[in-house]
Amino acid sequence: MAKFGCNRVEWAVTRRDFIERAGAGFGALALSGLMEAEGAAAPAGGGAIHPLAEKPPHFAPRAKSVIFLFMEGGPSHLDTFDPKPGLKQHAGKPLPTSFTQGLITAMGEYGAPVFPDRREWKQYGQGGLWISDWCRHVAECADDLAVIRSCWANGIVHSNGVCQMNTGSILAGRPSLGAWASYGLGTANQNLPAFVVMQDNQGTVVNGPRNWGAGFMPAVYQGTRLLPGAEPIAHLHTPEGVSESQQRGKLDFLRGLNRNHAASRTQQTELDARIAAYELAFRMQAESPEAVELSRETNATRRLYGMEDKDCATFGRMCLMARRLVERGVRFVQLYSGAGSKWDAHANIEQNHGDRFRETDKPIAGLLKDLKARGLLDETLVVWGGEFGRTPMSEKGNGRDHNPTGFTMWMAGGGVKGGQTHGATDDFGLHALKDRLHVHDLHATILWLLGLKNLGLTYSYKGRPENPTLNEGAPFQAIAR
Amino acid sequence: MRWGRWKASCRAICASGVWVATVVVAAAAARGGFSPEDRAWWAFQPVKKLAPPKVQHADWPRNDIDRFVLARIEQAGMKPASEAPRRTLVRRVYFDLIGLPPTPEEVEDFVADSSPDAYEKLVDRLLASPRFGERWARPWLDLVRFAESDGFKADDFRPHAWRYRDYVVKSFNDDKPYDRFVQEQLAGDELFPGQPDALAGTAYFRNGIYEYNNRDVRGQWQRILEDITDTTADAFLGMGLQCARCHDHKFDPILQRDYYRFQAFFAPLLPRDDLTLATPAERAGHDAKLKQWETATADIRSEIEKLLASVKRDTERGAAEKFIEEVRVMIDKPVGRRTPYEHQIAELAYRQVLYDVERLDSKLKGDTKDRVLALRKQLAGFDALKPAPLPALVAATDVGAVAPAVFIPRKESLGDIAPGFPSVLEEGPAVVEGRAQSTGRRAALARWLTAPANPLTARVMVNRLWQGHFGRGLAANASDFGRLGEAPSHPELLDWLAATFVEGGWSLKKMHRLMVTSAAYRQDARAGVDAAAATKDPENRLLGRGSVRRLEAEQIRDALLAATGQLKLDAGGASTDFLTPRRSIYTRVLRNACDPILDVFDLAESFQSVAQRHTTTTPTQAMLLFNSQMMLRHARAFATRLELEFPSGDEEMTGAAYRYAFGRAPSEAERLGARRFMEGQLRLRQSEGGAPAKPFATAKMPYRDGVAAVVAPEMGADALAVPDSATLPKGDFTIEAAILVRSVDAGGMVRTIAAKWSGDTRKPGWGFAVTGRGSRRKPQTLVMQIIGTKRDGSFGEEAIFSDQTLELGRPYYVAAVVKLATDKAPGEITFHAKDLANDDEPASIARVPHQITGGFANALALNLGGRPAKGGAFDGMLDDVRLSAAALKQGELLSAGDAANEKTAGYWQFEPKPGAFHDASTSRNDIQPPATGARASALARASALADFCHALLNANEFIYID
Repeated sequence: MAKFGCNRVEWAVTRRDFIERAGAGFGALALSGLMEAEGAAAPAGGGAIHPLAEKPPHFAPRAKSVIFLFMEGGPSHLDTFDPKPGLKQHAGKPLPTSFTQGLITAMGEYGAPVFPDRREWKQYGQGGLWISDWCRHVAECADDLAVIRSCWANGIVHSNGVCQMNTGSILAGRPSLGAWASYGLGTANQNLPAFVVMQDNQGTVVNGPRNWGAGFMPAVYQGTRLLPGAEPIAHLHTPEGVSESQQRGKLDFLRGLNRNHAASRTQQTELDARIAAYELAFRMQAESPEAVELSRETNATRRLYGMEDKDCATFGRMCLMARRLVERGVRFVQLYSGAGSKWDAHANIEQNHGDRFRETDKPIAGLLKDLKARGLLDETLVVWGGEFGRTPMSEKGNGRDHNPTGFTMWMAGGGVKGGQTHGATDDFGLHALKDRLHVHDLHATILWLLGLKNLGLTYSYKGRPENPTLNEGAPFQAIAR
Repeated sequence: MRWGRWKASCRAICASGVWVATVVVAAAAARGGFSPEDRAWWAFQPVKKLAPPKVQHADWPRNDIDRFVLARIEQAGMKPASEAPRRTLVRRVYFDLIGLPPTPEEVEDFVADSSPDAYEKLVDRLLASPRFGERWARPWLDLVRFAESDGFKADDFRPHAWRYRDYVVKSFNDDKPYDRFVQEQLAGDELFPGQPDALAGTAYFRNGIYEYNNRDVRGQWQRILEDITDTTADAFLGMGLQCARCHDHKFDPILQRDYYRFQAFFAPLLPRDDLTLATPAERAGHDAKLKQWETATADIRSEIEKLLASVKRDTERGAAEKFIEEVRVMIDKPVGRRTPYEHQIAELAYRQVLYDVERLDSKLKGDTKDRVLALRKQLAGFDALKPAPLPALVAATDVGAVAPAVFIPRKESLGDIAPGFPSVLEEGPAVVEGRAQSTGRRAALARWLTAPANPLTARVMVNRLWQGHFGRGLAANASDFGRLGEAPSHPELLDWLAATFVEGGWSLKKMHRLMVTSAAYRQDARAGVDAAAATKDPENRLLGRGSVRRLEAEQIRDALLAATGQLKLDAGGASTDFLTPRRSIYTRVLRNACDPILDVFDLAESFQSVAQRHTTTTPTQAMLLFNSQMMLRHARAFATRLELEFPSGDEEMTGAAYRYAFGRAPSEAERLGARRFMEGQLRLRQSEGGAPAKPFATAKMPYRDGVAAVVAPEMGADALAVPDSATLPKGDFTIEAAILVRSVDAGGMVRTIAAKWSGDTRKPGWGFAVTGRGSRRKPQTLVMQIIGTKRDGSFGEEAIFSDQTLELGRPYYVAAVVKLATDKAPGEITFHAKDLANDDEPASIARVPHQITGGFANALALNLGGRPAKGGAFDGMLDDVRLSAAALKQGELLSAGDAANEKTAGYWQFEPKPGAFHDASTSRNDIQPPATGARASALARASALADFCHALLNANEFIYID
């Protein structure tokens, strides 16, 4: 843990450490330099503590990595994993007032009529999970899924909902769950970022990059956004109009300047760290980001992820990259579907959710199957959900409003027992009733599967010991095998 | 929504089990009554001014600070470092006091000044500089989490927020006594009524985040109060209270009740936007002039009002219906019958109604819309009569003389909590004197905080100044003097400084002067550390040497602009975007879209009070400084400066470059190295062939990924020219782009997004642009001008306006889908405008008929961001410009996520890979920079010089000060 008031963090800790690294060749570090900085204060007497070096968990972990599939905008639980016959029976009538008393919804549709779902429901797998036709591919993996129907959150609009599902708080400023996992466990592969984020379109995820930010922790723990296209990380490459040899020439000259400068300032290890950072940046662009290069995947694999299908090619590609990243030791991968609230089906949910599931259902099923076939599912926790669910009442006649008081998420792999349904909402799916799991409980559960105690993982900020779940939340241990 | 468990909303940072086990403290407060240890805590004791201790090396101290520092160094058996060389010192003190590097002349003047008080004179000059407030406002703004946007999904810009920033800058420049500074911010309205300057300080209460569409109005108000409570405790009191929001503090003697006693000071607050900074005379003049304008325009305005009446009514009703019944009732109540709390909630809710009402235009249709626009145009004809608006004031007052009740959640039975201070310091309730229109609560708080006997206020503030000059505070946790902080390293010195501060009339400048003129401050950071010091004090807690420090984000950006000769020292006023070369303090601070350079160097997140920034060293910083087009542009600006100032030769340029960047001349070896480097780069440029492309800058557009082209009128219209080709459309077409407009023309000229047109209305072509202030239809709207054949067979211009309004400085996705007219039917242009900074705002779509059937094709180049004729150039950023040879359907537009396809005639994304000039479509309509011809070799030399400049700007010597 960083010392009180000591906000200074460095990339390399001692000169000796730096020289050792240099001697080992930067190639060995490859992409690592991108993300790293030193999180711990320099220990007296030298010795390197890499901020993202792998750290022991609090107890034996079930999962090593997390792939969080974030359906941004709020997918409906009532049309997917939490069937409610009551919707059809009460179609067109307002909800009984006992359900809506004290309720505040984003769009104020308190008295709106109940909107029946139009799905075909079946039971799947040995566990007999109820899953709608929108998720028919994922349904094939039913016996790997633990469906939690009793999630609840505090944010009634996207910004505080997405903020809380990422950071535990509806208000900005706290580290994201991925940042906490990186801080708590480091990462197994120093050549890649510990925490990677991808999104399916160029839209801005609500609140922007602070969803994967490090909040009050040093930036080294923040998520790294992998961009589509030839430059996955901003400013990775030599700029246009500058040749590689000119770049190298400039870098050599700069190194000379910096060496001379550092020679008379021997106590300042930060200066060495900065020299090394430049070398790394240069080496990295030469290293093809192999981890995100999909050309070596077989056609069968690509088909499994739906990459030949125009609708789901994008999310399929993201899911396949996610597998490659966790395979290479990345700790936390977050994939946004519908970046920019595109799951937000206030109107015409039929088309909205229909489109989103066409984009994601097959790729997600492909991911689960592929992980399983490679023996990776046991150690990879896959989480599906959004910032909230949707209301049983209709909005604009054929859509649904936000519902943070009861919604569904599912988890698979990573030590989770499949074919299970946990918790329950009321007859209309409005409020979670049984085994209610707040976002803090969900986060505690994810951390627990990673071998971390949610209240035992602390970072000292302004002299206060902070933890990921704001002193709340308990892991839902019934979910594990 | 049911707030099922109160604690779920608790953002308080409390102790976890681990800490309870490891930190042994007497949390006696929880058991009722404070223990003697609680009361004896150092920070609660009266400030004691002890005489400075005796020291052995009596000739070292320059002032009393040094005697305290030296005594500790000597106790540890160490020696202080020698004084830093003058060139080092001048650079250090410039950055510390004004945040800018000294110019080469200023360095030489100081080095050459042999008077014994040369340094003190320098310090006095810097303290008197208007740049001083610009530097020192920043840490204060971090503390009060100042920003200029809302910080939620809709990160709405706050156009008047800068006034608080200017208030802070001016307060520091004027050396306003700190007690007065505190009083104005917390209670300017109560303590100094009728003084607009003091009222300006109350904008402090308006700096927090705000969610414009949060239907849980009461919940949002409670969160605003909590935010104000927490920030005030951190910033002014220097004691974190958050821990006590849900329960008694586990380590410090702070009760949950104390949290709500403290909150009760703010419970009567009412945010105000209806006040101004004007004097009574200014106001009278304004009102008289306004009256004239009102009389002259009465008919026009009443017609507009009538036309808008029904839409307005519907909008208001629709907006109010989104609230729960209880809130609706509060809104509907006449103001006089509302309780204070009801009035606070109704006012907060009404902001949401107002938000919709301010956007009525988008709901107008057909003839009504045309008529309203025509009337507005007429109305604008009377602008000369209209007085300039009075300076707007963002402020806060109390809701009235009666305060709403404050309850501890789930302990409502305890009744209304009266305002009070932390009870370990003052048991009883605060003594509050009511006023006619105000409760007087905040005045009581401000008075208590600034009483000379208050043990915290002065200690906290001098410690912050110390941290600013020495890198860390004497007490390391600058905003928490409680048990979770760290005991001060030099408690007697801290007290001596606090007492001296109060004795000196709370003058901040006197404290700065005292600190930077001390021998402790002037020590060399480079002097060899003796072995004893290295082992006894590796972290330099005893201050036995100087320390090398990285510049903070704003200092780095400001130094870049200063060294490269671009910096404009325009002080104060509305903030500008990050492309404008003003000091960073004047750059817009958008919570969700930070400036990339500032952000990568650990800018404070402006969501909660920040007392000390992180200092990280990461390769992302290296990549941004070394590979971004923005930095290459700064390097070229630097090279251009050198060429202009020293046309005679490379040697002078090399020397000047070192002096601008590092504040010193290069050594002989360095000169030689520089020459060899530039020769090598020149050879590479020449041998690698091809004239260097005429580059243009790219930068990140706020709220978007990747980079966008930065377009300025002085680039010339041909900077982004695509030669004519057969694949460019001659029939129906669609032009789309992401744009950020920095300015529109003051007259009737447009700002061109894309044009295949000379600008001559007699020649065929088309241009897609943003209208100027003097537009014949409407300012700041999209226009498609097409010069071609009309349905009646005639040839001529048609200008089709979208009537949407584009705000300056905001990113938009815009499109014009051009469906040509035929013999049978008129054509239609569908305009799309989507605010990219606000996901909640739906795309605005306008369909406008027109008569052009074709005949606009020509052999001219397609110009992005300009057109060949004089005028009409764009000013701002362009990105993802796509031209399609079809009238695209909505689902085919870029806004729906499509990329290049068979209909695409060109798609310019300005990304470094595969290239800023590259067309991403299969049409290969690359941007072709103008041939450089004879200038090629001159450009190659300039490039080598720019490479040299670029390396200097990346050097540690530039980023760090000794």
